[in-house]
Amino acid sequence: MKLIRVLHKWLSVVIALQLLIWLGSGLFFNLMDHNKARGNAHKVSAKKEISINRHRLVELNTILAQYKKPVASIKQIELLGQPYYLLNHTQNLYPHFYNEYTLVNAYTAEKRVVDVVMAQAIANASYKGPADVRTVIKVSPPVSDFLKEQNTLWQVNYNDGLNTSVYIDAGSGRLVGHSNDDKRFADLIFKLHFMDYGIGGELGSFNNGLIIFFALITLLFCVTGVIWIVDLAKKGRYRFN
Amino acid sequence: MTWHKLSRKYHKWLMLFLGLQFLIWAISGLYMVVFDIHYIHGDSLVTKNQVFLQKAQVNYPLAKLYAEHPKASNVALTTLLGAAVYRYKEGNKNYLVSADSGKMLSPINETDARRIAKSNFHDTKANIRNVFLIEDEPPSELSSRHLPVWRVDFEDSTNASFYISVQTGKLVTKRHTYWRIFDWMFSFHVMDYVEEDASNKLLFVTLLFALLASFFGFVLTYFRVIAPRANKKQGSAV
Repeated sequence: MKLIRVLHKWLSVVIALQLLIWLGSGLFFNLMDHNKARGNAHKVSAKKEISINRHRLVELNTILAQYKKPVASIKQIELLGQPYYLLNHTQNLYPHFYNEYTLVNAYTAEKRVVDVVMAQAIANASYKGPADVRTVIKVSPPVSDFLKEQNTLWQVNYNDGLNTSVYIDAGSGRLVGHSNDDKRFADLIFKLHFMDYGIGGELGSFNNGLIIFFALITLLFCVTGVIWIVDLAKKGRYRFN
Repeated sequence: MTWHKLSRKYHKWLMLFLGLQFLIWAISGLYMVVFDIHYIHGDSLVTKNQVFLQKAQVNYPLAKLYAEHPKASNVALTTLLGAAVYRYKEGNKNYLVSADSGKMLSPINETDARRIAKSNFHDTKANIRNVFLIEDEPPSELSSRHLPVWRVDFEDSTNASFYISVQTGKLVTKRHTYWRIFDWMFSFHVMDYVEEDASNKLLFVTLLFALLASFFGFVLTYFRVIAPRANKKQGSAV
């Protein structure tokens, strides 16, 4: 029993600060405003319906003949009121995993690169806030606002009170999402809860060596604590009076 | 009563009620950080083989698809079991059409669901244990928006299940034992045993008491570990 008590005492020194962070951040998650934490304060929710002239669409066989790189799938999509074909050359399970695309104008079969102008226009179409665009930057993963993204993105920054950034997939024109200071704050609390500092693992993951080490220590700490409680109970030290 | 004695008393009593939850937090937290989340999500159960479209496979033009299905939207051309297929939506429903002949392929039957599941599974040697059709009342691990689906259970060490959409033939989700345990661990971690939602009152109250109990624990750490050593140092300095 002495060993248990000594262990419990010394382990408490090691994990004290992190335990406080876990409980405090846990309380934050319990109370946080989920809508705010999503960073969508200035995001347009409804999508506009557009009409496409189907007679002008280029046949997919023609597209396959013209673009020689192997294609796993072709999706007909709409960007800024225009129909496009999205050719996927490296298809992954999810859009945020690494994917390789060619974007093709569905009326002319011309290749379309998502350039800075187009990225900004797509971002603007999703933004209902009051401010103008401050900067547009091309960013490569890891992108701190969207650590799960494995693709190169356009970051469109707005001059509003929340410092909204809108992210567009540079390969496909997909709207990755909005981020702002509310979301960044929630992300910071998640970072603290997950000990996600890139130590013993990649950034953006709670499967890192640091937290595994602390989780093991904490488990040992809790086990020694519970044994201590059982021992106290056996000795009759839990009495009301 | 001194802070030291007070803390000992309250830490002892509060932890009588909270100790078990602390242990649950530690076990569930450890489980979640140890297992790689991509493994948990079953992404490694899905084969990474890319199947590419061949021009010769596409003999049913897009124009014809729109002529025969004028309400079609979200059209995509892709492959399924080596053949080229179109997927499209009409309202909330999804359809699957052969890109060779224009023949309607949805709804998917059991034989096709088996073949699709096997062609997507990472272990080509694994056998299928069971196949069920789920049209309503999905199990908690399946979102109702995917219905109807074929559930294909594999005979492998992880009890993997693939859910294949009846309408699209797509692999909509997958589960295995370690993910099922992960869901369990998460619900115990956030103390919501039904919805797995961290915004619940039980967690709130428990956290308040846990913070209080930990505060008394810190006071004890101070008096028993830090203060005696600080005093000793001071003593020897004098």
